[in-house]
Amino acid sequence: MEVTLRVTVNGTARTVSVDTRMLLADMLRDELRLTGTHIGCATGNCGACTVVLSGRTVKSCCVLAADVEDEEIETIEALSKSATELHPIQDAFVRNQGLQCGYCTPGMILSARALLEENPAPTEDEVRHAISGNLCRCTGYHFIVDSILDAARELRGEPAPATAGTEGEALVGHGSGPA
Amino acid sequence: MITQEIAFHAPTTTAEALELLARHGDDAKILGGGMSLVPTMNLGLARPEILISLNKVEELAYIEDRGSEIAIGGRTRHRAVLDSPLVAAACPVLAEACRHVGDVQVRNRGTVGGSVAHADPAADYLPVLVVLGATIVVRSTRGERTMPVADFLVDVMYTALEPDELLAEIRVPKTTPGTGSAYRRLARVEGSFAIVNAAAVVGPAVVRVAIGGIAAKPVLVDLTAITGGGVNAATLDAVGAVVREAVGEPYGDLNGDPEYRREMAVVFARRAIEAAAERAAG
Repeated sequence: MEVTLRVTVNGTARTVSVDTRMLLADMLRDELRLTGTHIGCATGNCGACTVVLSGRTVKSCCVLAADVEDEEIETIEALSKSATELHPIQDAFVRNQGLQCGYCTPGMILSARALLEENPAPTEDEVRHAISGNLCRCTGYHFIVDSILDAARELRGEPAPATAGTEGEALVGHGSGPA
Repeated sequence: MITQEIAFHAPTTTAEALELLARHGDDAKILGGGMSLVPTMNLGLARPEILISLNKVEELAYIEDRGSEIAIGGRTRHRAVLDSPLVAAACPVLAEACRHVGDVQVRNRGTVGGSVAHADPAADYLPVLVVLGATIVVRSTRGERTMPVADFLVDVMYTALEPDELLAEIRVPKTTPGTGSAYRRLARVEGSFAIVNAAAVVGPAVVRVAIGGIAAKPVLVDLTAITGGGVNAATLDAVGAVVREAVGEPYGDLNGDPEYRREMAVVFARRAIEAAAERAAG
């Protein structure tokens, strides 16, 4: 069965026609071509489908599109205008190698942003707790946690700590060896 | 993926929702947060053709002070329980259990009523509700029924809900001063389902623990008699023995065989009681 929904997506009012079987994740990806939201499990475990629904992060693979009439949705696309104007959290993930394949990354970043909006100075434990709904198969989480702590520092306006030197350069990956 | 056609209803009042339930009964499923239902639909394990969403029924989402009890509307999101100063002050063990339900995103959308109506034997809320003696209120167009949570939970993922009823309210007795309560659980990682869990209450005249992940519904063990003088190393050993007996032969599955569950039931019952006793004293 078809329903017509009025929703606001990334600040823009949209009218979308969907089948009542359609998941919110599929509506965003297939109907609105916002493919930054990923589907990893369709069972609410991996969090790759995380979006912000009326101000709260939710797993969009477990929300039916028909259920979001009149609500506001934010996807990862809302965080940056272009590939060269990244949100500070995205920037921190780049600086700190917080991604490899990138599949979990949009969900991780939205969960990170939700955390930092409520708690601008989280401990490592609090960061790990905040991303417990987002699974990553590539990184082992360590650099993701570093990215979020670094983003928090940046958003608080504090200066970056002095780096050790070689390790930071090697991570940028030009393969030039120790300085 | 979801393959069956779905007639989707989004009522805005409880009365509307009950009318729809009365009309469709067994053919319809109530949709709360969807954190349990939608995954099962995505897997094709549940194939409802009629959905009655409660996500626009704001009047079923509340946490109210009712004197000796806290009343929680069925559609209250877990997030609201965590954010509630009333729960923190009057029934902290409920928030303690809620912190373990799913993860951040699941708690933002999932509902307390949905979790209780789902009746998973290892659900985080259930031992808390059983040990506190909570009451469940169900509603239909035929009226309202009220029952102890132990009667509401019938079997594994099976409750006393009739096809035309929804879980409208959960009434939780407040924790009185001088009484301590605690929730402890065994899970592989944060966000996993619990393998076993335990909620304990320790007060001047009461020591009780309810243990989940053992049977179809939490097993309530009253230890007041054997701990008379207080909870300490000696009485905790006696507690362990009584719990081991009370737990009987647990169910077994991939997450834990019966013997493991029984041993862990003893460990976690003790931990919950010890923590509750410390809080009663402090």
